[in-house]
Amino acid sequence: MPSHLEIINARKAFRTPEGGRLIALDGISLRLATAEFVTLLGPSGCGKTTLLRTISGFETLDDGDVVIDGIAMTQTPAHRRPVNTVFQRYALFDHMNVARNVGYALEIAGRDKREIRTRVGEMLELVGLTGMEKRSISQLSGGQQQRVALARALAGKPKLLLLDEPLSALDKNLRQKMQHELKTIQRELGIGFVFVTHDQEEALTMSDRIAVLAHGQIQQVEPPSVLYQRPANLFTADFLGESNLLRATLDGSQARLSDGQTFDAPRAAGEATLLLRPESLGFAVPEGPKLSFTGRIRETYYSGKDHQIELETLAFGTIRAVIRANGTVPEIGREVTLHASATGLHLIDEVAP
Amino acid sequence: MSLTRRKLLHLLGLLGAPTVFLLIFFFGPLVIMLVYSFLTPGIYGGVDWIFSHLNYGRILGWADTRYEKFDPVYLAIFLRSLRLATLTVATSLIVSYPAAFWISRMRPGRRDFAIFLVTLPFFVSLIVRLFAWVLILRPTGFLNQGLMGIGLTSEPIEFLYTDFAVVLGMTYVFIPFMFLPLYSSIEKLDMAQLEASSDLGATRLQTFRKVVLPATMPGIIGGSIITFIPALGNFIVPSVLGGAKVLMIGNLIEQQFLSARNWPFGSALAMMVMTAVLVLLIVQLRLTRRGEHA
Repeated sequence: MPSHLEIINARKAFRTPEGGRLIALDGISLRLATAEFVTLLGPSGCGKTTLLRTISGFETLDDGDVVIDGIAMTQTPAHRRPVNTVFQRYALFDHMNVARNVGYALEIAGRDKREIRTRVGEMLELVGLTGMEKRSISQLSGGQQQRVALARALAGKPKLLLLDEPLSALDKNLRQKMQHELKTIQRELGIGFVFVTHDQEEALTMSDRIAVLAHGQIQQVEPPSVLYQRPANLFTADFLGESNLLRATLDGSQARLSDGQTFDAPRAAGEATLLLRPESLGFAVPEGPKLSFTGRIRETYYSGKDHQIELETLAFGTIRAVIRANGTVPEIGREVTLHASATGLHLIDEVAP
Repeated sequence: MSLTRRKLLHLLGLLGAPTVFLLIFFFGPLVIMLVYSFLTPGIYGGVDWIFSHLNYGRILGWADTRYEKFDPVYLAIFLRSLRLATLTVATSLIVSYPAAFWISRMRPGRRDFAIFLVTLPFFVSLIVRLFAWVLILRPTGFLNQGLMGIGLTSEPIEFLYTDFAVVLGMTYVFIPFMFLPLYSSIEKLDMAQLEASSDLGATRLQTFRKVVLPATMPGIIGGSIITFIPALGNFIVPSVLGGAKVLMIGNLIEQQFLSARNWPFGSALAMMVMTAVLVLLIVQLRLTRRGEHA
């Protein structure tokens, strides 16, 4: 696939008010295929928003390049880049009505009134706000403002849409609805989306690929399922979803946990970390090779569709498991054994210090 | 909505005192002035209770050859006042707008200090400050000596007692009036909107015209009005820096009341100023109403 956006070895440092240097981007390289939905995921301060702002042109790079459709954009000012942004708090022009907000890019480009009106109508239909042209921004709900911001950013037909945590101000139900709509709109328009979020669920739901960022570096770029099941390092494993991370010693063919249990691991000898997702543990005994953990139930949490269990074990401390709510409801304080199949386990070549 | 007795009493308690105060000390004198402006001046000052429209006639052009003559000089002074007040508003706006923008982007501590500096001139008497300008502007003043010192001019330039000096002085005096409303509307400006505009393809100039200017328009209109009104009626600045050459309507009114002792004519002049200001306020109201509906 041709690369649509290419970020080559991007570096950026800021001066802190105390006079120190803060490295926001520490040699980031990333490629985006045409019509791909890529999410930049990371904790606050990891550099994801800075990276987005270097693509839109609001930040200049100390070193490296931003290339869009084969054209280097590094020297191009923000207003001449073929990308548009949906801002975190929307940044709608509150002295203009909905139609003028949405048509702003076209108005600036000097298109004629009829063309603008048609395009604004199309955009409002796309985001489900048909007929709201004359509304003022202050009359809109948060969700509607979000839609106007999206329509405004898309009206000028950008090659690439950047979204800076656009859903973070919405309540949970609305957020989920918008996630699905965004995904649909992206597929319909066939343009690339770069989406910034710190919400891992949001990232997993929407993305074609997720780039996990920490400390100004990309930790891993993979499709959501790969990232979730086979994280490359401890940070990604820990940041994305719940996980049990158990230290394992390898001897070339087998791995041994600290309580003596072993499982097949045909790889180089040394220390590694076993990733066991809570949902891979259960009370049912699986066929074939398995790992078992016995301990006392310390706490259970009910979430509607499942029970989360915290099991206090001697060898590993707390082990987390998730079982479906229609299964047996465990009692706090009881001693139980949880099992996991020992085939296809994922080992991370890194151990916690 | 009908008010309950209790609420009515509450409202009366809150608004009663200022209402009575304004009725006695603001509205009352205004009515007296309005009535006087249609009376005949007494021989030894004061007024004779004989109706006359000639006070306005002297200004606007219907003549009575016996006592009061139409003289276009009053209208000329009135127009000059309008012109100088407008110039003052324009120069204060040009000076204050970038300054307010700059200060609103400062770190909080510095920002408060900068605003304090803007209001600092209020702490010194107006007369003292104006005489300082006389020292600067007069033929042997700092400005002329400086200009001749660096060889830009060979002879002193007449700065003092010109329109220039009056506009300069009034700009100096009224800048805080312009600055503060401007600042409060610029401070509220959402910087993300400027980025959004740029993101959507607008140059800096386009962003200024389409986003910054409309968003700060309430401050511009507010600052202009509260600068224009006192500038139009001002008589201290023109009497110190304008001398006898640059009379403004305020000086004229002052003369009529204190020297010429023609109270009805002075009242008529004051009513002219009032009318001009009222027209301006109505225009402003219309403009802001339209802004809200756009």
